[in-house]
Parts: sequence; structure tokens; C-alpha cells
Amino acid sequence: MTLVALGVALILLGGLAAVAMARRPALGETLFRILFGAGCVAGVLPALVVLSGATVTDLRLAPVTPFGPWVFGLDALSAAFLLTVLSVGAACAYYGLAYLAHERAHRAVGVAHLLLAVLVAALAVTVVARAALPFLIAWEVMAVAAYLLVVLEHEKQEVRRAGMIYVVATHVGTLLLFALFAIWAGGTSDLSFAALAAHAPFPGARGGMILAVALIAFGLKAGAVPFHFWLPGAHAAAPAHVSALMSGVVIKMGIYGLLRTLLLFGAPPPWWGWAVLVLGTVSGVMGVVWALAQHDIKRLLAFHSVENVGIILLGIGAGALGVAYGHPLIAALGFAGAVLHTLNHALFKSLLFLGAGSVIHATGTREIDRLGGLARRMPGTAAAFLVGAAAIVGLPPLNGFVSEWVVYQALLRGASTGGMVRLTGLAAVVLAFIGALALACFVKVVGVLFLGTPRYPLAAEPHEATPAMMRPLVGLAAGCVAIGLVPVVVVPAALRVGSLVVGAAGAGPQVDVGAGPATAFTAGLALSLLVGWGAYAAVARGRKRLEAGTWSCGYSTPTPRMAYTASSFAAPLLSVFRSFTGVRTHRSAEAFSTHASDPVLDGVLVPAWRGARTAAMWVRQVQRGGLSVYLLLVGVAVVLSLLYLVVAGRHP
Amino acid sequence: MSGSGLIALGILSVVAPALPGIAGKTKSLLTGRRGPPVLQLYADLRKLLGKGAVYSRTTTWLFRAAPVVVLVTLFVAALLLPVDGREASAAFTGDLVAFAGLLALGRFALVLAGLDTGSSFEGLGASREVTIASFAEPALLLCFIALVLATGDLSLSGMLGTPLAAAWPRAGASLSLVGISLFVLLLAENSRVPVDDPATHLELTMIHEVIVLDHSGPDLALILYGSAFKLALFGVLVVSVFVPRAGFSTPAALALLIAGLGVAAVAVGIVESAMARLRLVRVPQLLVGAAALALFATILQLG
Amino acid sequence: MRDAAQIVLLLVVLSDLAILGTSRLSSCIRGLAAQGLLLGLLPVLIAPQLSVHAVSLALGTVIVKAVVLPWFLAWAIREAAVRREIEPIVGFIASQLLGAFALALAFAIASRLPLPALHQPLLVPVSLATLMIGFIVLTTRRKALVQVVGYLILENGIYLFGLTQTESVPFLIELGVLLDVFVGVFIMGIVVFHINREFDSLDATRLTELTD
Repeated sequence: MTLVALGVALILLGGLAAVAMARRPALGETLFRILFGAGCVAGVLPALVVLSGATVTDLRLAPVTPFGPWVFGLDALSAAFLLTVLSVGAACAYYGLAYLAHERAHRAVGVAHLLLAVLVAALAVTVVARAALPFLIAWEVMAVAAYLLVVLEHEKQEVRRAGMIYVVATHVGTLLLFALFAIWAGGTSDLSFAALAAHAPFPGARGGMILAVALIAFGLKAGAVPFHFWLPGAHAAAPAHVSALMSGVVIKMGIYGLLRTLLLFGAPPPWWGWAVLVLGTVSGVMGVVWALAQHDIKRLLAFHSVENVGIILLGIGAGALGVAYGHPLIAALGFAGAVLHTLNHALFKSLLFLGAGSVIHATGTREIDRLGGLARRMPGTAAAFLVGAAAIVGLPPLNGFVSEWVVYQALLRGASTGGMVRLTGLAAVVLAFIGALALACFVKVVGVLFLGTPRYPLAAEPHEATPAMMRPLVGLAAGCVAIGLVPVVVVPAALRVGSLVVGAAGAGPQVDVGAGPATAFTAGLALSLLVGWGAYAAVARGRKRLEAGTWSCGYSTPTPRMAYTASSFAAPLLSVFRSFTGVRTHRSAEAFSTHASDPVLDGVLVPAWRGARTAAMWVRQVQRGGLSVYLLLVGVAVVLSLLYLVVAGRHP
Repeated sequence: MSGSGLIALGILSVVAPALPGIAGKTKSLLTGRRGPPVLQLYADLRKLLGKGAVYSRTTTWLFRAAPVVVLVTLFVAALLLPVDGREASAAFTGDLVAFAGLLALGRFALVLAGLDTGSSFEGLGASREVTIASFAEPALLLCFIALVLATGDLSLSGMLGTPLAAAWPRAGASLSLVGISLFVLLLAENSRVPVDDPATHLELTMIHEVIVLDHSGPDLALILYGSAFKLALFGVLVVSVFVPRAGFSTPAALALLIAGLGVAAVAVGIVESAMARLRLVRVPQLLVGAAALALFATILQLG
Repeated sequence: MRDAAQIVLLLVVLSDLAILGTSRLSSCIRGLAAQGLLLGLLPVLIAPQLSVHAVSLALGTVIVKAVVLPWFLAWAIREAAVRREIEPIVGFIASQLLGAFALALAFAIASRLPLPALHQPLLVPVSLATLMIGFIVLTTRRKALVQVVGYLILENGIYLFGLTQTESVPFLIELGVLLDVFVGVFIMGIVVFHINREFDSLDATRLTELTD
């Protein structure tokens, strides 16, 4: 645990170094690189030790702290999330150094690096905090640092708007967390998690209230539909490496919160499990459908975070139902799948956001319909992005497949037991639907960004990303491949986390979930692909090869404008879902385009806000400035209060 | 790894190219034409393998990798099926997810290769292919869930192998619904009428054929062989559900399988000569119908 | 005999789903006729022994539900020259999904109903499912003629539920059901022609134009 504290301190120190050396940015950034890296290694090591089955001692700051002792600890659940935070955090920080390098002249780049260091440190503290107060402080620091990073390009109006929506949403969440801990503690002053856990089980409605508030508060952070409205705007507005960190890691704090709540709370009632499962299906399907409708690469990726949070929630839902109905194996599998998918999503989503950042850096646009053919100009970025795309779709032999396989197993095992749990089989079908739609969406992204020809002439010939920007991409892609190839190593570790949340660590029946043969499968598939490719290359070497233009069915002068666009590609699927997409289609003789809006934000919240403002304007009419009017109002108020007392029949 | 499983797989990979031929011949005979010989595809493959290839200047390595990926994924998927009727060459808990994942990987590669050419026709086909697959995949999983419930086994080897025969007397109605649903999926996944018309000659109406418009020579041979093998793979699914072969000796089981595949191919031909291609907007409806059948099969198991 | 009845009941559900998924009116009517025929088979298959009651009920059902009503509807679409449901209120995919969920719901409800044990366990869930699917067709389609089909499916559901009680309830009740259907269709037919003459359209949503 001391190592983790040291790591956090080193990360913060690195951030300070980047600011302090503002005069000599190169030196400052080298210091940042070294200190940040050392901090991450110092934090990851104990996490790996814990995940392999060992335990570490807690860190206690007892007598002087308010609201009970401040405890920091590292169990398997914290370790899994700490691993996610630090590995992805390091990749994003390194990428940020290169990404922001050309802006040194006109922006306080050092401050951005410091904020990123603060954000990563806050995330690390959030997952190891074992008392409500440090948890809330870290949570709030995380929210504010993330807000400041989102509005880094504050000269743009849309960035300010997205930042405002984000900060309002995240503070509503924080407020709900205050409510959560207040209800949970019930007036006692010891707010350490151990003390909170001792309150359980709760009689009557209090337990239900705790779980409902936790679901909304953490759901808001995680971006589950319908609490996702802040997410796409904020993630699209931030610089690429910040988007990667936010989409990959920050929203996962909502997932961590849910799992921690379950661990402290004990067995939830069945309705909660069903609620999470339904939230998961809705988030998954709507997230991917909305993503299909997007043409802004970063908004599209952000909506995929909503989708993947949906998949994670399916795992948590299956786990909660397993606990509620007394099937520890299903529960452990569900939670394990959720945790593993959290790590995997952090890896491939940050990979995709960083890859998108390189594309934006090279071309200056986020509109995918304006791009094309980048695979020939940026082969390295294209290959890394392709790995991320295949991983997020859940294709074997990559990591997305492994975690979805675990979630599927939880749902299918649920389907083949007795009782109400069998309905989880339907969630498995929804998961298949989500996977197939995600495939459609990423075929669209990869195809339109990297393949074919540019749809429009670009301002400048795009160039491959610099090695400093490529390295984090390669690292993350390697992580995706490695986890995909050795499920036998990661699945047992995830199951350890899962059974910790179930509360049956070591006690549950040891059932073979098939991680060994699954490893043989993924590794074998990878090997067969390589062998197949090698054989093909050997045979094809001696063959005659001709190069020609693409066959366009007799049309003699194909132009880039004829290449299939993302709008057209997604149109058949979107037409099936037209009632929920919020997509507006524009057709004319020579062009077809679609415009996406968010039904929750643009359809409900913004009109509600406008309505509230109109109502407020009406109230303002009272504010006329005349003293007599105010006196009259005070008089009326006093009389009304007295009348209330009379009617209520009570004395103050 | 069982020896008989591998032999069965070998036989399957040899007979696969005959299936499209049987379907085409059936269609020709029913519509009063002579039609190409049943073994035409073998000759086509031999000719294509001997040729050189033409590549578009827009394409990248992805275009050349796709046929290999398609074929490898199909072979690995076949390893997960109990082709000999008893057990698969490779099996693990939840490998039905891997089966769906392998089909998805092949599709991912093929469709990206189509987009790699930058032609709008191939984009059109790619878009249709992923749209149809989005509805076919959940239907396939529902079929698998019904089989899981019938046999209580979480691997394809068990779901389609020995335990299935024992489940027939208990859940016959449900299993036949699953079989019908799988047959509809066979038509959809292999681009047959009423979803796609393999004989069409207008690029605007094609789905599978238009994606591979730019492939030539050995690449095209791999893709054509892959299509035939995929048809055989889905044929194995359908035949395994309708005719559980666990009780037979290996040669008898294999003979039954080949006969069953032949019957399936004839059925495809009959459907093709009896029906017109559906309008594209109606295809999802057909697949939702197939999913509804599978859901009904699942509900019968629960009841 | 029990297995045969089970298969017939499954086919009834399939015909429900088929009607739900088709836009062509003639296919709807064909599906309805097939369903009528299946319903006609059921009394014979379910009855413990072959009785005059069962056979006459079967014959009556087949004549009314599989011959007369479909013929009447086919005549109506010929006269009114409508062939397709173009714009349903709920799309065909969505209504098929709704139908699938109705099916699940029917089985879930049927397993919880406090009913005496029946010879044919599928009868109650299938009748509930048919009722619900009839209701879905009735409420989600615009064309008055398709609504008539929905109404008839609903009636078929009631008929199936009636079959659970064939031993204890007298013959008159079935007769009443059949008559009820007949009268219902007759009235709807008049309505159909009325709408057609007045507004040159069979769009039932335009009935709202009749207000004041």
C-alpha cells in the first residue's frame, strides 16, 4: 500500500515538474515522463501482486481525520481498477506529451500535463479509498480536473457548452453520492467503509433507497442510458488523450462504485439486478444505434462507450441476479466479466481515441465523411486502429472476445438454471445484437477513415504519426492482443475479483469455466491465421500480379466523390431504428446525408431547461423594484406560514 | 481431438463445393433448364487457382488478407462442430460464442476488403451484408440458447452431439422449430434467395457477389470455396438438429451427414425456384421472424 | 392424439406470427384460413373419444372460420381494391417483436394461472398468445380490413380458451361465439364499405374526421 501512495506522489510530482519547468518545456516533459512512469510502475506492481492472490496491509490515518478513520486499502477489486487506471493513464499521458507539443507556443501545455497527473492520481485514490470522505474528495478532484481538461480548447463555443453540461451532470452525481452516504450511515459519524458495511442488512425501504440512489449516482458517472447525455459532448470536446482517459477510465469509476456498493451492501434484492440488466440492455443497444448515426469520429467513439458500459452492466446485472437468487457461480462469472470488460474497454477505447487523435492531428477534421484512404498514408495508425476496432467488436482472438465470452457464460448459465434467472438468456440475445451492430459500426469507421479513397481533397497530404505518438498506440494494441491470447491468465484473476464481490472468496465451488481450452482456442486461431497468411504469401510470391483501377462496373471515370460514405453505409440499419435514433435525413438529387441528435439531451433535457427558464422569467415579473410590493409579498408569506401552522395544527 | 472428427472434417471440406452445384442444378431442373453440371465449382476453382491476380491500386494488404481470414475462420469454426455426430474436434464451455465470433471475424475481414476498393458498389454490398448480419446473429444465438436448454450443455459439441439425440423425445417440437429457424439462417448467411440471389447479374441488387467484385484469380478461388464451405457448415448445423447421428457408427453417421447435406442443398434449390428475392427492407423482417421461431422454441423449453 | 394436438397448437402460433409479419392482405387472409382449419381440427383431437358434438363443432368451425369468413374477406378486398397494409402504426419488425414478447408473456401468465390440470398443457398459453396477437394486429394496423383480421384472431383466441371447457359447457356457447364472429364481421363489412364510399379510403385513422 505504501508503494501505491509513493506512486501517487510521484505522479503528482511529475505533473508539478511539467509546470515548474515551463521555461524549458523539453526538460520539464522529460522529468514528467520519468516521474509519471515511475509512479505508474510503483502503483501497478502491488496491484498485480494482489490480483495474483496475495494481500497487502491497509494504510490508516486514524485519530486526526474527520468522520472516522481514513483508510486506504488494496483488495482484488481495487487492484483491478488500479491496474486499469495506471496502465491506460500512462499511455494517455505519454500520448498527450506528443499531441500537445505543437501547441506549446500558444497554450499553457504544462498545466494540461499537471491536470492530467492530478486526474490520474485522483482516480488512483478513488479506487483505493476505504472511507467515504477521502472517496468523495478524490471523486470531486477527479470531476474538476476532468472538467478543466475538457475545456482546454475553451475558445470554441461548443467546447464550453459541452463542459457546462458535463460539470452540471457530474455535480448532480456528487450530490447524490452525499445523499447515498448520508442515508447509509444513518446519522452515525464513522464513515469508513468497514463501518458502513457493518450497518447491513437494512430493514425496510432504506436498503432499497441506498441501492436506487447508488444506481443513479454511479450510472450518471458511467454514462448509462438515460444518464449518458453529458458524455458524447464532453468526450468529443476534450483533446484526444483526455477523451481516451475519460472514456476509457473516468466513466469506469461508476462501475467501480456499483461493484464497491455491492461488496459493502451484501446481497441485493432481485429487482435491483433486473434494473441493472435492463439498464445494460438499453444502454448497449441505444449506445450502438446512436453511434451508427454519428459522423464525428469522437462522438461516435463516445457513444460506443455508452454501449460498452451497457455490456459491463449486463455482467453486473447477471452477477447481482446470481447473488439474489443464490447462484454464486453465475454471480462470480457476471462480476468477473464486468471487471474484465472494464479493463479491456479501457485498453481498446483509449487505443481508438488515441488513433482518432492521430487522424485528427494529421488531417485537421473529425468528420469521417471527409476522409478516406488513410491506410496508405498512415499505415501504422491504421493497423493499431484496426486492432482496437476488432477488439471492441469482440472478435476472437482479441481481448474484447474474452470478456464478452465471460459475460455470455454468466448469462447462458443463468438461462440453463431454473426459476426467474432464466430470463437472462434474453439478455444474451441482446448482447449478440449489440455485437453485430458494433461490427457494422466499426466496419463503417475503419472502412470510411482508412480504406478506399479520400471523399474530398484534403487541405494537406496527411502524414504518419510521429514515433512518440505511435508508441502508446502500439503499447495499448499489444495489451489487447496479449489479453486475447492468454485468457488462462486473466480469467482466473477476474474470477478472483468476481468472487470477492460475491462475498464467497474461496468458499464457492471451483467449477471449470473453460479458460484453458479457451486459451488453446484463441492462441490456436491466431496461429492458424498466421500460418494461413504465410502459406498464402509463399504461394502468391511467384504469381503474376497486375495493378489496375478499381472495377466500377463499366463506369470509365470514377471519382472520389463516388466512394461510399458513412451516411449511406449506416442508412439501411438506421432506417430500421428510425423511431429512436433522433436522426434527421437530408436527401437531394446528388447528395444524401444524415444529421444526428441525442433524443435524451436535445429531446427532453434541453426543452425542460428552456421551460424552466421561461417559468423563471415569469416569476421574475414579481421583481418590480417597488418597496411596497416586496412588503406585500413578505406579508403574504407570513400569513401563509401562519395559516399552514393553523391547518397543520402543530406548534413550531 | 478425435480422429473420426478430423476425418469427418476432411470429407466435409471435399464435398462442400458440390453443394452450391446441387442447389443450382435443382433450381435449373425445376425451372425447365438444363443448368451447369453439379461439379462445376470444382472446375472453376481449379481454373482460378492457376491464374494470376489483378489488384486495384486503391487496395492495401487488408484486401489480400481477407480471403485467407475468411477461410481460416471457417475451418476453425468447423473444428467446433461435431461433424461426425458425436463430438467436436475441439470444444470448450461457451464455444458457441466463439463460433459466432469466428463468423463475425470472417465477415469483418471480407466486408473491409470490399470497402478497401473504394468502389461504391462494394460499399453498397458491405452495408447490406452487415445490416443482414445484425439480425442474423441474435437469431443464431437464440437457436443456440434453445439447444442449450434442450441439452443442458454449454458447448456446441454437446448441444449438437450425443446429448441432442436424448433430447429429441422430450423436446421434439421445440427442436424442429430450431431446425427451421436455422435453415432460414442458412439462406440468409449464405446469401441465397429470398435474401440475396447468387445468380443475379446486376450489381445494384447483389449482396455477397458485389463485395467480392474486385477479387480475382486465387483470391476469388479462396472466396468461392469459403462460400461453399460456409454453406456446408450451416448445413451441418441444420442436419445435426434434424438428424441426431450419435447412435450410428462413424461411417454410417458420415453417410447420413452427406445425404443430409444433399437434401439441404436440394431444399435450397427448391426455395430458390419457388420464391422471389425479398425487397431489402423486408429482409430484417424475415430474420426477426426466424428469431421469433427460435424464441418460441426457447419458450417451449421453459414451459 | 395428444401429440397431434400439440403440433396443431404450435402451428396455430406460427400462423399468428405469420399474419403479424405480412403486409399483403391476401397472405393475411390465407393465414387466417389456415388458422381456421387448424382450429377446426382441434375439437376432434382433444376430445377423449369421437363424439357427435366434437365432430359437428369441428365441421362448423371449419366451414365458418376456414371457408366462409376468408371468402367474405377476399371478396371485400377485391371490391375495395386494397392489397397491402402500407403504413402500419407500428412497423412490421416491431410488431413481430411485440408478438414474440406477447408469446413469452402468455406462457409466463399461463404457468401461473390457477387452472385445473388440463389434458393439453399448451392450450391455455396458445389461446392467450392468440388473443394478445389478435389485439396487436387490431391496434397497430391502419387498414380497416386488417383490423377485421385482428378481430377474428382475437375471437380465435377466445375460441381456443373455450376449448378448455368443452366437457363442462354446453354446445350453445360455441355456437354463440361463431355467431358473434359472424355478426361482427358483417358489421365491420358494412363499415368498411361505408368508409370507402364516404372518404374514398380504408384508412381507419381517418375515422377521426367524423367528429362533429
